[in-house]
Amino acid sequence: MAEPAYTVASDSENTGEEKSSSSPSLPEIAVGIDIGTSQCSIAVWNGSQVHILRNTRNQKLIKSFVTFKDEVPAGGVSNQLSHEQEMLTGAAIFNMKRLIGRVDTDPVVHASKNLPFFVQTLDIGVRPFIAALVNNAWRSTTPEEVLAIFLVELRLMAETQLKRAVRNVVLTVPVSFSRFQLTRMERACAMAGLHVLRLMPEPTAIALLYAQQQQMTTHENMGSGSERLAVIFNIGAGYCDVAVTATAGGVSQIKSLAGNAIGGEDILQNTMRYIAPPNKEASGLLRVATQDAIHRLSSQENVQIEVDLGDGDMVSKVLDRLEFEEVNEKVFQECERLVVQCLRDARVESGDIDDVIMVGGCSCIPKVRAILKNVCKKDEIYKDVNPLEAAVRGAALEGAVTSGIHDPFGSLDLLTIQATALAVGVRANGNKFVPVIPRNTMVPARKDLFFTTVHDDQKEALIVVCEGEGETVEENHLLGFFKIVGIPPSQKGVPEINVCMDIDASNALRVFAAVLMPGSKSPVVPVVEVRMPTVDDGHGWCAQALNVKYGSTLDLITLQRKM
Amino acid sequence: MKSYKGSSILATDFYIRPISSLPTSFPSTTLSYPTRNRFLSTRIQARLIHDDPVKQSEDLSFYDLLGVTESVTLPEIKQAYKQLARKYHPDVSPPDRVEEYTDRFIRVQEAYETLSDPRRRVLYDRDLSMGFSFSFSGRRRNRFDEEVVEEKSEWKKKWQTQLSGLKRRSNQKENSNSMSWAARMRRQHHHMSDDDSSS
Repeated sequence: MAEPAYTVASDSENTGEEKSSSSPSLPEIAVGIDIGTSQCSIAVWNGSQVHILRNTRNQKLIKSFVTFKDEVPAGGVSNQLSHEQEMLTGAAIFNMKRLIGRVDTDPVVHASKNLPFFVQTLDIGVRPFIAALVNNAWRSTTPEEVLAIFLVELRLMAETQLKRAVRNVVLTVPVSFSRFQLTRMERACAMAGLHVLRLMPEPTAIALLYAQQQQMTTHENMGSGSERLAVIFNIGAGYCDVAVTATAGGVSQIKSLAGNAIGGEDILQNTMRYIAPPNKEASGLLRVATQDAIHRLSSQENVQIEVDLGDGDMVSKVLDRLEFEEVNEKVFQECERLVVQCLRDARVESGDIDDVIMVGGCSCIPKVRAILKNVCKKDEIYKDVNPLEAAVRGAALEGAVTSGIHDPFGSLDLLTIQATALAVGVRANGNKFVPVIPRNTMVPARKDLFFTTVHDDQKEALIVVCEGEGETVEENHLLGFFKIVGIPPSQKGVPEINVCMDIDASNALRVFAAVLMPGSKSPVVPVVEVRMPTVDDGHGWCAQALNVKYGSTLDLITLQRKM
Repeated sequence: MKSYKGSSILATDFYIRPISSLPTSFPSTTLSYPTRNRFLSTRIQARLIHDDPVKQSEDLSFYDLLGVTESVTLPEIKQAYKQLARKYHPDVSPPDRVEEYTDRFIRVQEAYETLSDPRRRVLYDRDLSMGFSFSFSGRRRNRFDEEVVEEKSEWKKKWQTQLSGLKRRSNQKENSNSMSWAARMRRQHHHMSDDDSSS
């Protein structure tokens, strides 16, 4: 078997310019890719239904990792591992999705230091140092590069099977990803020669699949436009996501989203810490044994764990389900909190819920199922989706819909109305974060707020754009900043500074700022338009640096409405 | 994502749409920022087309926007909204009219958000009966109303109690190591808002 050439495009920031669409005459059907923390899948609309592609070993689910042991790095698509332990020698990089776009002060990065490959943090808010063990030397890489190598393999696999070039993709992403992390995903795709049509929060991909199923079942009794409310819960290895969706007539309207970076990896590490002898927590053998035990605990009340860790260290333990649930109590509590928050944000009563859909590798854990049944007051979980395939199927549907494909049988008369997972806003009123577009606003969206100056004759104002849910600027992700200049001399509180934010269907955020004076019909200085995010790694410093440099001299406060 | 070649639009492209006879006279002007790439050309194109959804929608009431009567029921509002979404959402609109349809879609959304919330609908109807028929007036007061409405809502109270119960439970054994930064921040945030409401 000939080794494919792994070419990765230059690591350039100018991905926007490459994103021109392909030939307009014949629309290329975008493929759907579900990039999971531990495994991946790829699917495409084949003209009548969604088809999940298989790798050379006939697998639909492909392990997400890249090994650096040979001259050329090889990913999980083509690479054959003799044993799972080979992944744990330090030569393979995995869990890229947990690391991408995170800085070295992030607890999720710190939790990855137990992994067999090298994760070094200097705790100053910059990109962590990540390396794989090659011939007893650490070869440095980045999560984007690892992801790009993996995506190139996926692309080549798809191109071979579909017998055409694959360029346009719809990618699923965790709900909790910040815009900064999303740009990293896009960059990895660009490096792999892929053009991202949509980055879909995972549960919204499932919502689209559900909308199609509902559309099909209600087709017989035409015109029954009754709306169905579904709670979608996804928990994989790295992330937990929740969505509430209202579905009618093939339209899935996302009412609320919630998510956090918790998942199977946390459950695995908690359990390993619990059963491991001191200083042996990072053992690869133990990792494999624990993972296996957790899987078996989904169907058994207790499991026997026997591992020989070498050096006379033996693990021999019976782990029962209650113990396991105790050890991971905080993970399960967070799952519950996310569901409750999502229902609250959607303004939904548990009695109104028609279906509870559970997907992802950890959705079969009995405790997680019990939580969902309890919170949603449902005895049954929706059965018509495959928990491991639903996301990629939804992404493939979205790929077909956004590529403008029509289906004569109406299977593609679908639409997802997305919502924002995190609020976007500006720094104002001291160091407060003032949302301009709140969380769970339907997209595309455009909203504006008025601000004014805090000093007499203030000629300039700093617009600091953030994303998140925190009260203060520091608690949120900094997306970028710019200065408006040329505010006419006037008393404080007089100039009207309008900040408008626009999110388009592909989730691109643009921020506009204009200065108006009372009575004037048009802005007194040219309007500023900035695409966000504009900051790169180490952005934590920027907010601090701005504080040091300008203090409150360029501050804004929200303009009180004259009622 | 789409091509942004045209996104660096010259500042001269914006224009101002004066809104007269607003109930709350602030702000006296509203700004119109460039919507999408090729903004100017579509605007001109749109004016040449007889049935111009963007221009029309500026003076329509929320009911007009959704194409329903003022006696409409909630299920009918939901249905109308989803039907219009099928027409105006950028994912499904004809490629040459995406920009104007997106504008229209955002307006339809505002109409839906207000009319699908019984309390906000009452407030909007009151304004409407006083002769302020512009959808824009409703939009201006959205947020203010939202705050008032949220305090009273039953659904909120119910989930809020459950959320604070969950928080209490997890705080008892708190050592925040395994929580992500975002989770801790959100928790902090929730505590703050709890304090606000109790005072």
